[in-house]
Amino acid sequence: MSDHSLLEFDNIDKYYGDTHVLKEVSLEVDEQDVCVVIGPSGSGKSTLLRCANRLEEIQAGEIRLDGTALTHPDADINVLRQRIGMVFQSFNLFPHKTAIENVTLAPQKVKGIDDEIAYEEGMSILEDVGMGDHADAYPNQLSGGQQQRIAIARALAMDPRVMLFDEVTSALDPELVGEVLEVMRALAEEGMTMMVVTHEMGFARGVGDKIVLMADGKVVETGEPKAFFENPQTDRAKQFLSRML
Amino acid sequence: MSDAYTDGAAADNSTIERFLNDHTLKRVGAAIAGAFTLAVGVLLYFIIDFANPDLFVRIIPRFLEAFVLVLGIVAGGSILSIPLGIFVGLGRVSKTRFTNAISTGYVEFFRGTPLLFQLIVIYYGIPALWIQNFGDFPISNWAIPAAIIGLMLNHGAYVGEAIRGGIGAVPEGQMEAARSLGMSYVQAMREVILPQAWRNALAAIGNDQVILVKDTSLLTVIAVPELISEFRQVNSATFDPWTPIILVAILYLCITIPLGKFVRYLEARSDWGGGDRR
Ligand SMILES: Nc1ncnc2c1ncn2[C@@H]1O[C@H](COP(=O)(O)OP(=O)(O)OP(=O)(O)O)[C@@H](O)[C@H]1O
Ligand SMILES: [Mg+2]
Repeated sequence: MSDHSLLEFDNIDKYYGDTHVLKEVSLEVDEQDVCVVIGPSGSGKSTLLRCANRLEEIQAGEIRLDGTALTHPDADINVLRQRIGMVFQSFNLFPHKTAIENVTLAPQKVKGIDDEIAYEEGMSILEDVGMGDHADAYPNQLSGGQQQRIAIARALAMDPRVMLFDEVTSALDPELVGEVLEVMRALAEEGMTMMVVTHEMGFARGVGDKIVLMADGKVVETGEPKAFFENPQTDRAKQFLSRML
Repeated sequence: MSDAYTDGAAADNSTIERFLNDHTLKRVGAAIAGAFTLAVGVLLYFIIDFANPDLFVRIIPRFLEAFVLVLGIVAGGSILSIPLGIFVGLGRVSKTRFTNAISTGYVEFFRGTPLLFQLIVIYYGIPALWIQNFGDFPISNWAIPAAIIGLMLNHGAYVGEAIRGGIGAVPEGQMEAARSLGMSYVQAMREVILPQAWRNALAAIGNDQVILVKDTSLLTVIAVPELISEFRQVNSATFDPWTPIILVAILYLCITIPLGKFVRYLEARSDWGGGDRR
């Protein structure tokens, strides 16, 4: 075992102008673990994920992937981002590309992988998420759940070390939530390291290895799912859980 | 007071409604269209009666020559204005201050002054500067290159604004998704943003290119033997305006109508599975 976690947030601070959005946040995600981040709206969960992908810059602290500081000014962001897959609430599939083209675009253009190999790998990932039959469909011909599964496949195609999920089921009709959570559950079982922001407490409890509660830009409580849900330590956690459950 | 107001509004509404029911509207529309057709028909009758078939046949070759020249100038201006416009549009959305300022200044100048003025600057102004500084102006038939350059620069600004609007209409999440996959800004622009921006801007660019075709009529001022120049020559030699007018109209429409069709074809082709995008 190495002496560091796969993804480490080390005392990070993030401001939007004068608003202090993340306050000295420290957090570790171990290899093969599923870290579930929960918390009230506006507590900074999305911002935390976006900082890990450098979609937002932090003002203090350090974020490390496998020991390498990805927030360092000299870090090659395009290389680091290949190792961090991100799935968004609003899917953000490329509408001008078919499902398979969405999946193969980055491997081809960024990694320079052969068209044929990229296609074969892409098809196998699409099949993994249950979308093999829709490889030639355009995003707007598919349901939200199907689009989100393709978005997951698209991120997986870069063979990332960590996957970040930001409320990926929040924009879905209730009957479509299950199919996406099922894909994520399978991914977790295969050993993918995941950081998941969600309001799905059933998923958090069933699939999470670690629960992180955020409030007002701070990590309020961290714990294993069973301990966290059955025996929360802080008032903030008790209050949050009483409203969620 | 308020009662009177509501009563008035209600009365107004009902009058409008009575008038604007489907049936009346249909009839009014048909009546206007009929009157228009009649007027055009009468005018056409007079025109055809006026036109001179012998002259018509005789001037066809020279007009065809002008037509080919216009086609060439349109092709040149068009083909050059589109890549230029794409760069201008990219400059307009650039976060690099210098690039942004230069492209903004460019657009302000070329949209803020008349094309005719720009053509005059290029056609008369540039050779004068050249001669003062470097001696003889090397291009003997400067009118046609000047025309193509003028149209390119002018319409590059309009295409640029269309592209800028098209980029602005692409949701921010597209850039974020592309970057999060490890694509560079340039890759994301090329592979993800520009194809969608192009689709969004296509109608506006199409309109602009049709205007570019019609703008060639201004080239008569810088001595390009295009369709209007030919018209003026034929008219002053024969005192027959209508025979050449018919030819000019037919020849312009021979460019603009297929061009419009081509743009609609391009739009239909990038349908991306149909339905409501986003
Ligand atoms: N681009 C921005 N500019 C300014 N403030 C922002 C911006 N994005 C987010 N914020 C602020 O940062 C804080 C944290 O936002 P964030 O989106 O991370 O919360 P969240 O926990 O993801 O909430 P939700 O559950 O609603 O998604 C909020 O107060 C929000 O208003
Ligand atoms: Mg959020």
